[in-house]
This record gives sequence, structure tokens and C-alpha cells, in this order.
Amino acid sequence: MPEPMTSDPWVEKLKDPTQQEEALTALRVRLVRGLKKVFSSGGESFAEDIAQDALIRILEKIDQFEGRSQFPTWAMSIAVRLATSQVRRKHFKDVSLEQFADGEGLKLDVAVDTLPGAAEQIEQSSIYQNLSELIDDLSDRQQTAVRAVLSGMPVEEIANRTASNRNAVYKLVHDARTKLKSGLEAAGYSAEDLTGSIA
Amino acid sequence: MPLSKQQVSSLVQLVASTTPDEIDCDGCLDHVAEFAETLLAGLPIESAMVAVQNHLQNCHCCQMEFETFLKALSGMDETSE
Ligand SMILES: [Zn+2]
Repeated sequence: MPEPMTSDPWVEKLKDPTQQEEALTALRVRLVRGLKKVFSSGGESFAEDIAQDALIRILEKIDQFEGRSQFPTWAMSIAVRLATSQVRRKHFKDVSLEQFADGEGLKLDVAVDTLPGAAEQIEQSSIYQNLSELIDDLSDRQQTAVRAVLSGMPVEEIANRTASNRNAVYKLVHDARTKLKSGLEAAGYSAEDLTGSIA
Repeated sequence: MPLSKQQVSSLVQLVASTTPDEIDCDGCLDHVAEFAETLLAGLPIESAMVAVQNHLQNCHCCQMEFETFLKALSGMDETSE
């Protein structure tokens, strides 16, 4: 067990019933000020509501604060995650995952550039060819998630539609990327070859 | 529907930057405050912070959130007096 860190003044106050209210008020003011700067279009109460929810979450997680940053910075990271989750949910409300599972997998039949003949071009189409075959071996869930991510769908929203969670979707996509990468490596393409092919 | 050229490039980029030991979104959130302070102070990105940087590159969701976070931090310290 690690030694408990020397306590932060914010943590001390928030844990002390005689000082908690004052500390919460001071923290709320700072959170609201920061949130209003970014979510100005969210309506007057948006920042206030998020700050309120964030304070509850911050108190729940306070023992996880390890003092690696200033306390208000850490607190704001929690508030921003709550706020962006809400904004995203609203923004992607009408987007369904079905469109990313179109039964065609991730077809890679992109037009090869019109400039013919260059060695880079040949390497690029060979990489795409390999990639296309490797993608066919991904599971349906992996293919759908990868396509959704490539279409700008946040992993959190994919999770909301698949009774999953954000970390699990990230892992699903990571597993897919790992498979594709090792397949391409087996075919003789290094990470540098890959980045070079799209440069 | 085939992927657009842009999407194929993003995919190739994502595949190229894949590492075995990537942190997940919660792992990123756990360290993002420290990462932001390191970045804002202009200090070098070291050890644990490299994992955060990689995650931000590979996770659009966390990347957008991080940009918002930096803006919110700058607003948090603005005083009106
Ligand atoms: Zn993430």
C-alpha cells in the first residue's frame, strides 16, 4: 500500500465538515467560470448544473486524488468529462449505429491516385490490399466499431448504443488495430511504411 | 459504403500508432490533469505522460475532451475584477 500523500489543503477542507461548505462554494465558482467559457451556448444553467453534478462526483472520488496536479485542475477534468458526455449525448441523439454495420464490412476500395507508376503508389495499394483482407477477418463488432470511430462517432456514444462502456469500446477498437498491425507486419510492413504510405 | 480516402488514411494512422500497452479512457482521465499542467508549463512529456499523449492521439473522444478541458482551465483562472 502506498503511503498516503501529504494532504492537499483542498482535500483537507472538503473532508472537514466545518470547512466543506466553504470549500465547495469556492470550487463551484471556479468550475462554473471555466465551464461557462467553453459551453457558452449551453444556456445559463448548464454550467451551474454540471458544476453541481461534478462536485458530487469529486467528493465521491476524492480519495483517488493523488496530488499529481493542482486540485482544481483535477476537479475540472472531472467536470469537463461530465459536460462533454452530456453535450455528446444530445448531439448524437439521432445517430444510430446501424449505418456503420452495413454488411459490407469496411470496404477499402478507395480510388488509387491518378498519378500512375510511382513506387510509393504501388506500395500504398499493396498496403491497402493487405489491410482490406485483414479487415475481413475482424469480428462484426470490431468492424462496426472501427467504422463508427472513423466516421467521427465518439467511443462513448458507441458504448451507449451497445450496452457497453467507453473503456470496453476503446479496447475493442484497440484489439482490432492490434490485429491489423500484426497482420501488416507479418506481410512485411512496418509502422513507418504505414505512415509513409499516407504521407 | 466504402471508406473515404480520408477515413482510410485515419485508419492507417491509427493502425501504425498502435502499441500493446495503451491506457484506456479512464486511465487517460486519471492522468489528464497532470498532463495538462505539464503541457501548459512547457515541461517535457515524460514516462506516464507519454501514455496519455498516445491515448489522446488515438482517441478522438478524449482528444476533443482535452481541448475543451484546456479552454475551461484557462477560463477557470480568469478573474472578473
Ligand atoms: Zn479515450
